[in-house]
Amino acid sequence: MFVEALILSCLIGAAVVFVAPSGYAGRVAFGVSLAPLLVSLYMYLGFDGSGNAFLGGDVAYEAFAEWLQFGPYAVNYHVGLDGISMPLIVLSTVLTTLAILSAWTPIDSRQSEFYGLVLFLEGSLIGVFSALDFVLWFVFWEAVLIPMYLLIGVWGGPRRKYAAIKFFVYTNVASLVMFIGYFGLIFGLGDAISSTSMPAIAEALRAGQLGYLGTSTIGIGPDALAMAAFLAMFAGFAVKVPIVPFHTWLPDAHVEAPTPVSVLLAGVLLKMGTYALLRFNFTILPQQAAMLAAPIAAIAVISIIYGALLALAQQDLKRVVAYSSVSSMGYVILGLVAYTVYGVGGATFQMVAHGLISGLLFMTVGVFYNATHTRMIGDMSGLASKMPVTATVFLTGAFAYMGLPLMAGFMAELFVFIGTFESTVLPAAPLFAAAAMFGIVIVAGYLLWAMQRSLFGPFRLETDYELGRAPLHDVAPLVVLVVLIIALGVAPDLFFEMIRDATLDVIDVGFGGGLR
Amino acid sequence: MSVIYELTPAIVLLPLASFALALFFGAWLPRRGAVVGSLATAGTLGLSLATLAWLLLTGEPHNQTWYTLVDADATFDLTFGILIDQLSAAMLVIVSLIAFLVHVFSLGYMNDEGEPGLPRYYAGLGLFTASMLAFVIADNLLMAFIFFELVGLCSYLLIGHWFTEDAPPSAAKKAFLVTRFGDYFFLVGVVGVLVTFGTAGFAGSEGFPVLAEEAIAAGETFFGFGAETWFSVLGLLVLGGALGKSAQFPFHTWLPDAMEGPTPVSALIHAATMVAAGVYLVARMYGFYALLPTVLAIIAFVGGFTALFAATMAVVKDEIKQVLAYSTISQYGYMMLALGAGSYVAAFFHLTTHAVFKALLFLGAGSVIIAMHHDEDMWKMGGLKDEMPVTYVTFLFGSLALAGIFPFSGFWSKDEVLFETLIHALGGSPLLFGAYAMALAAVFLTGFYTIRMVLLTFHGEPRSDTAEDPHGVRWNVKFPLSVLGVLAVIAGGINLVPVEKLSGGSLHVAFLEGYLERDVGLLTHGEHYSELLHDHAGYTSAYVGSEVTTLLLGAGLSLGLALLGAGSAYGLYRGAVPTRHTEKLGGLRTLLMHNYYQDEYQVWLAEGFTVRLSSAADTFDQGVIDGAVNATSSVSLSAGSRLRRIQTGIVTNYAALILLSLLALLVVFAILGGWL
Repeated sequence: MFVEALILSCLIGAAVVFVAPSGYAGRVAFGVSLAPLLVSLYMYLGFDGSGNAFLGGDVAYEAFAEWLQFGPYAVNYHVGLDGISMPLIVLSTVLTTLAILSAWTPIDSRQSEFYGLVLFLEGSLIGVFSALDFVLWFVFWEAVLIPMYLLIGVWGGPRRKYAAIKFFVYTNVASLVMFIGYFGLIFGLGDAISSTSMPAIAEALRAGQLGYLGTSTIGIGPDALAMAAFLAMFAGFAVKVPIVPFHTWLPDAHVEAPTPVSVLLAGVLLKMGTYALLRFNFTILPQQAAMLAAPIAAIAVISIIYGALLALAQQDLKRVVAYSSVSSMGYVILGLVAYTVYGVGGATFQMVAHGLISGLLFMTVGVFYNATHTRMIGDMSGLASKMPVTATVFLTGAFAYMGLPLMAGFMAELFVFIGTFESTVLPAAPLFAAAAMFGIVIVAGYLLWAMQRSLFGPFRLETDYELGRAPLHDVAPLVVLVVLIIALGVAPDLFFEMIRDATLDVIDVGFGGGLR
Repeated sequence: MSVIYELTPAIVLLPLASFALALFFGAWLPRRGAVVGSLATAGTLGLSLATLAWLLLTGEPHNQTWYTLVDADATFDLTFGILIDQLSAAMLVIVSLIAFLVHVFSLGYMNDEGEPGLPRYYAGLGLFTASMLAFVIADNLLMAFIFFELVGLCSYLLIGHWFTEDAPPSAAKKAFLVTRFGDYFFLVGVVGVLVTFGTAGFAGSEGFPVLAEEAIAAGETFFGFGAETWFSVLGLLVLGGALGKSAQFPFHTWLPDAMEGPTPVSALIHAATMVAAGVYLVARMYGFYALLPTVLAIIAFVGGFTALFAATMAVVKDEIKQVLAYSTISQYGYMMLALGAGSYVAAFFHLTTHAVFKALLFLGAGSVIIAMHHDEDMWKMGGLKDEMPVTYVTFLFGSLALAGIFPFSGFWSKDEVLFETLIHALGGSPLLFGAYAMALAAVFLTGFYTIRMVLLTFHGEPRSDTAEDPHGVRWNVKFPLSVLGVLAVIAGGINLVPVEKLSGGSLHVAFLEGYLERDVGLLTHGEHYSELLHDHAGYTSAYVGSEVTTLLLGAGLSLGLALLGAGSAYGLYRGAVPTRHTEKLGGLRTLLMHNYYQDEYQVWLAEGFTVRLSSAADTFDQGVIDGAVNATSSVSLSAGSRLRRIQTGIVTNYAALILLSLLALLVVFAILGGWL
């Protein structure tokens, strides 16, 4: 009931906003988006799920309806939440509302369409995080691409078409690869399943019921099939996350996308990739994940260090933040592959923490851009003396990104580091942890350097704009995010408790990776 | 639990409240937050004194979890807790006293001078104090790390206070980055300790030092290493953070640059908060380090070397705060040496006296800088002693304490450090002789640069117009100076070990030693550490002749060297118009003025190496990785357009194509079907 209320309020809201007069669209959209926001908060407060939705846990807000029969498989409408999806739903609704507010200033054409698409995007995202049937999930998964493509392609910067097409084609090809992989598993399971229910598939796979794809004479054996499927899904999701070397669509998309779209792209869309990796690869094929632990951890560490180095090289503030996402997502991957309480839980916590923090930084860069009409670090200096509040927020966000304690990012990274260090799945785990942790030095380097050049020093601005105080609707979302980031840093158990509860079953796989 | 321990959180929360008030309502507060800050730190000081008194009287410590960050059922929790034992109770008093005096002094230095951004400044001071106090009472390593990092943040904000200029933001960045490089190792160490022991608690039989002791005794292995080896790795990792914050070689480079911050902040950083944090951390987990002889030797050597190394640079500096900055690095070297040489009490003793006299010297320098209209060059000063007698007398006391001249406080503590190092060296740890020799050499240089600084600043003829007619200072400057001036003279009295020994033990005047060695049941007392040092590191004491002979010899040697240094400086720089003797050093002076090119190589590492590596990575990313992506799309696009050419739209072409294809298929089938 509640999940449907969430999705429908977004979709109906989108329809309302589409027909609303352009001048009011922003305000209407903000009002409409409060509905899913409040519902999701109410759901969070009343959350009573336990265990993992894919592994036989008690699912909260579950809903089920028969939909259609697809060959031997029943395809159903089946949604529900557990401790992994609940925080991500809250993240989506919070960030969408704040992104809508932050769009009031920069978006000045075709407002109705813009805000309508944003709400449509929100509905699809909620669907992705709540669906428990594969076909349903895949519908939502693909539905996300459409508004995102349009939001970048219509309201973006000068190279918006290139960026939008690159985003769409790249992630769509990736979806195809993933889809083939997962269907390979479904066919391989044969009679063991009778529906495309993801929990049923997950349990069948973990019970070792994967058979031959084809026949035992001409076909792919279960081990090879599982490995091939793991790799296909991993590659597919890696594009979405993105993991090096599949990351190059991301900076282009971010640079061209308008601020609110960047907020949603970095804040929520990237988490689709890591969410799916957790739900698919690491939940249903733990043996394969364990076999590939070292190479996966290696690319995670490379993502962290290489992404941070790339961020250091950028001259455009937005590109700095964009590349740092590549780095931060590396922590998620590392935590997942560690298969420990703090590792997998920390990875999930990092999804939320990074969503809030990168959202904050993108919004702040947007506020500066609204005022200065430039994002090039070399074009500005001493902004802090003209825009003290925004500068303070940027400083706070930057320190949050650097993993300053008592902010969400530190907790997430600490969890991942602990989880990685103690991992028994990963060979030489302490070395991987130590290598990954070096990211905290580089991230401090590029953010402090960028701040020194743009915020501090004598005031100078190359573009010809008069700097004034940013309007309230630009600043309010920033403040909300700062409060949330500190709250999660001081009291991580607001989310981490339910996350832990839902991830315990994931790591309990019986090859020594389990509880420590 | 006694009432006093129920109030312990307030020690941290009071300055935290002052931070919040100044941050959000600073513009409406009296004196822009100075009053609230002073009141909060005064309250903190009162509570700290009460806590110390309670511990002294009852001997009842406090070690309790206060807040649970993560309550993990399946694995270890992450918590905040309060640990009040002898070390933390005494440190609380030092930190809150200095913080209070710095707040008062700031009224004169910042408010009276009409500096901008006062609410921001007092918010920073409040958070700085709160973070340091929370670090001091931390009951586990993770909590210590968390507040250690916040201390770093506050120093960043305060060093960069005058952010509209170019130099302060750059210095602030450098301070944060260099210390964060150290903190990186610290964080790896924290995680390692948590994973290894399942707890990061400092004290009690459940604390990780005791668990480590048991693991070594039981011969356990971790990650394929023997217990002692693995713990040495962890100890060195944590030490990275301590060396970074305490500005020990090679992480010392941030500290002189940090002089860009307001002078009261320098006093706070150097005397009681950030730089002290590193030494305090090592002392806090001394039960762990005492198990690890290799790490102790490294600590001793880094300390001795830093003491000498920094002192040589202080000799040639021309700016008063630069001299003080290098003296700080050097003095913390002594504390590290003491810890490495197995003298926990001496290290904390020197930390205490240094906190007093270094805060005094910085505030005195601040007073001089006010008088000189913010000119810090000592060659433009001179003759100030007649114009500012209070500043002169207190500054002189602080200087004599720093130089280690009898009977000022610094003499007693430095002598204790050197004596303990010597007897442990004699007792079968000959490596310590090296560290001892470096520390002795530094005594001479300390005497020299300190007296040089005093003479150039206060004596002789005024060498500029401002020095002839300096700006006056008010009570808010003189009051902190007077308090600290008195303490700089008498603080040595808390631990008159030599007197006790000379009296043959009949006079019980080694108060600090007795206090720190008392067993209050937490296994963090000096006696326990001595046993560990003896059993694990093999530290025993031996003497030249009798104990008293060694004592007198050692004290005579260090005092003689200090006097020799002071005398040489006096000989060279007295008189109405001193000459620039250091310029005669030629190439050596250039080397020292450039700080042995330490900054250059670190800047090269950051900018020359890392930034270049990053632009190479960027080129690679744009060219190769993104190039491959775009090439894939170009290939498919061009393949598409090539293929399109066969779609000519001419029917005869299609007919020909169909015919040819059919023939080709027939041939293929013929071959496969075996018709041919």
